[in-house]
Amino acid sequence: MTTDATNDATAGMTPAEIAERYGLHQMGVRPGLREYVRSLWTRRDFMLVLARSRAEAENQNTYLGRVWDILNPTLNAAVYVLIFGLLLKTRDGMTNVIGFIVVGTFMYKFFQDSVTGAARAIPRNLNLVRSLHFPRAVLPISSVLAELAMLLPALAVMAGFVLVSDRWMLHLDSTPNWRWLLIVPAVLLLFMFSTGAGFVLARLGARWPDVLNFLPFVLRIGMYASGVIFSIDHYLAGGGVLATIMNYQPVAVYLNLARQAMLDEPSAQLSGELWLVGLAWAVVTLVVGFVIFWRDEARYGRD
Amino acid sequence: MTDEFDVEVDADDLTPMTDGEVVLGDPSVVVDDLHVTYRILGTRRKAVEAAPQGRMRKLVGRSLGSTGGVTEIHAVRGVSFVARHGESIGIVGTNGSGKSTTLQALAGLIQPSQGSVYVAGIPSLLGVSAVLVRKLTGARNIMIGGLALGLTKDEVEERFDEIVEFADIGDFVHLPMTTYSAGMAARLRFAISTAAVPDVLMIDEALATGDAAFRERSRQRVDEIRRQAGTVFVVSHSLASIKAMCTRAIWIDKGLVRMDGPAEDVTAAYHEHTRARSGPAKG
Repeated sequence: MTTDATNDATAGMTPAEIAERYGLHQMGVRPGLREYVRSLWTRRDFMLVLARSRAEAENQNTYLGRVWDILNPTLNAAVYVLIFGLLLKTRDGMTNVIGFIVVGTFMYKFFQDSVTGAARAIPRNLNLVRSLHFPRAVLPISSVLAELAMLLPALAVMAGFVLVSDRWMLHLDSTPNWRWLLIVPAVLLLFMFSTGAGFVLARLGARWPDVLNFLPFVLRIGMYASGVIFSIDHYLAGGGVLATIMNYQPVAVYLNLARQAMLDEPSAQLSGELWLVGLAWAVVTLVVGFVIFWRDEARYGRD
Repeated sequence: MTDEFDVEVDADDLTPMTDGEVVLGDPSVVVDDLHVTYRILGTRRKAVEAAPQGRMRKLVGRSLGSTGGVTEIHAVRGVSFVARHGESIGIVGTNGSGKSTTLQALAGLIQPSQGSVYVAGIPSLLGVSAVLVRKLTGARNIMIGGLALGLTKDEVEERFDEIVEFADIGDFVHLPMTTYSAGMAARLRFAISTAAVPDVLMIDEALATGDAAFRERSRQRVDEIRRQAGTVFVVSHSLASIKAMCTRAIWIDKGLVRMDGPAEDVTAAYHEHTRARSGPAKG
C-alpha cells in the first residue's frame, strides 16, 4: 500500500510543495487578520450560546439561582451607600447620593466582572481550547457578553433605585424622563471598551497566570480613581493636569455618561464632548485590544 | 500471538477490518520535522538540591522551591510523515513518548516550536478529557461542540437526536456533565465530533473507557469516515484496537518516529520491544 500512484507523484517534492499542490493549509499558525475576523463572524451563534450558558451556569448551584443576578449588584450598591453615603458622608458635590453611588457601583461592577472574566477566559475554558479548533477571540467576547446579559436585569434595579430616591427623597418630578434612554448607548460604549480591555487581559492571563492574582488590586484602585462613590470634580475642584486625567480616563468617562443619562448631577451634565471622548476610547480600545489578542492566537492553550 | 500483551480483551470482539474497499487518495496530512516544546510553570527540575541547614533556611528553601521556575520539556523532536485520504493510522509508543502532543499539534491546538504541519480541512481531536464544559448539560455541550466545529445552529439541532442515540446516554443528556461516567462522556464526545464527517479525525485514547458495544460502533463510524475520504488517527495502548481499526501504524519513541508501516508489522515490532523491555518476569 505504500507504492501507488500518489506516492510516485509526490516523490522528490518538499512537504510545503505537497501541501500547496493538494490544497492543505498549515496548522498552528496565526490566520490573517481579515480571515480571523471572518471566521469569528461565522461563529457568532457559538459566542451567544457560550455567553448564555455562562450566564445561566453562574448561580446554578444556589437556591435563588438567577435572582442573584439582581441581588448581587443590589447588595453591593447597598454596602457602598451605607458606608460612603451615610456613614462617611462623602456626599459633598452630589444631588442624589444614593443614585450617584448606585449608578457608579452597578456600572463599575459590570466593567470589573467583564475584565476579570475575560482575563480568565482562556484558562477557564482550557478543555475547549485543547480539543476544538475555533477562533479563540470567541472566549473573551462571550465572557463579556455573559456579563452584559447579567447586567440587563440589574439595570432595571438601578432605575428603580434612582426613581425611588429622586421622587421620595428629593421630590423631583422630572424623574423618570426620556434622557434615561441614553443609558443604552452608554452601556454599549462601556461594553465595547470592556471587551477591548478584556482582549488584552485575556492574552496576559493566558500567558502569565500571575496577572489573575494581581488584577483585583488594580481594579480596586481603579474604582477609587474613577469616582465610583464620590465626585472627582468635587475633590479636584482646582482643575489642573491631574483633574483632566482623572476626568477623561475611560472608566470615569463611562460612569459620567451613565450618570448623565440617569441623574441630574452638577458633575454630570449632558456633554456632547464627553460622548465623543467615550466613543473614541471605545473604538480605539476595541480595535487595539483585538489586534493584541489576535497576535498570540496560535499560542493559546499551549501550556 | 501478539495479543496477549493487551489488558483489554474486548478489542478481540471487534470485527476485522474491511480492507481493500477504501482506495487511498491524495495527501491529507503532511508533517514536516515537527518539534514541540512545552513550558511548565512553578516547577524546578531540581527543587531540592543540597538540603539547607537550619530551620529558617529550610523553611525559606521549601517555600521558594516552586517559585519562578520554568521547566521546558522537548516532547516531540522531529516527526515527519505524510497521511492520505482514506487512511487510518494508529500511533503507538510508551507513556510520555510524545504521541498525544503530536496529535495536538496536528489538530492545530498547540503551536510547533519548529517544523510545520499541513492539513486538509478542519481537524477534530477527541482527547483524553472528553468533557467540553463540565458544568453544563449534555445537550448544551452538543450545541457548543457542534457550533465550535463550524456547524450552524440548525444543523446541530437536525443532528441532535442522532448524536444522543449514538452516544446512548438517554435522559442524561439533560443533566450536567458532572454527573456522567467517564464512558458516557467519551461516547458523547465521540458522537459530537463525528456528527459532521471530519476531514481528519484524531482519537486520543478516547475509546479506552467505552464498553465493547460502543467500541464496535465507533469502529464502524471510523470505517465510514475513511470511506468518505476522511483520515483517522488513533492513539491507543491496545494493540488489538490498532490492528482492528488501522491500516497503518506509526511508532513514536522519545519524540521521534521509530517505525512507520503496515499496522500489523509495526504493532508486532512494538510488542516485541515492550516485551523485551519489561524483562523475563513478564515473558
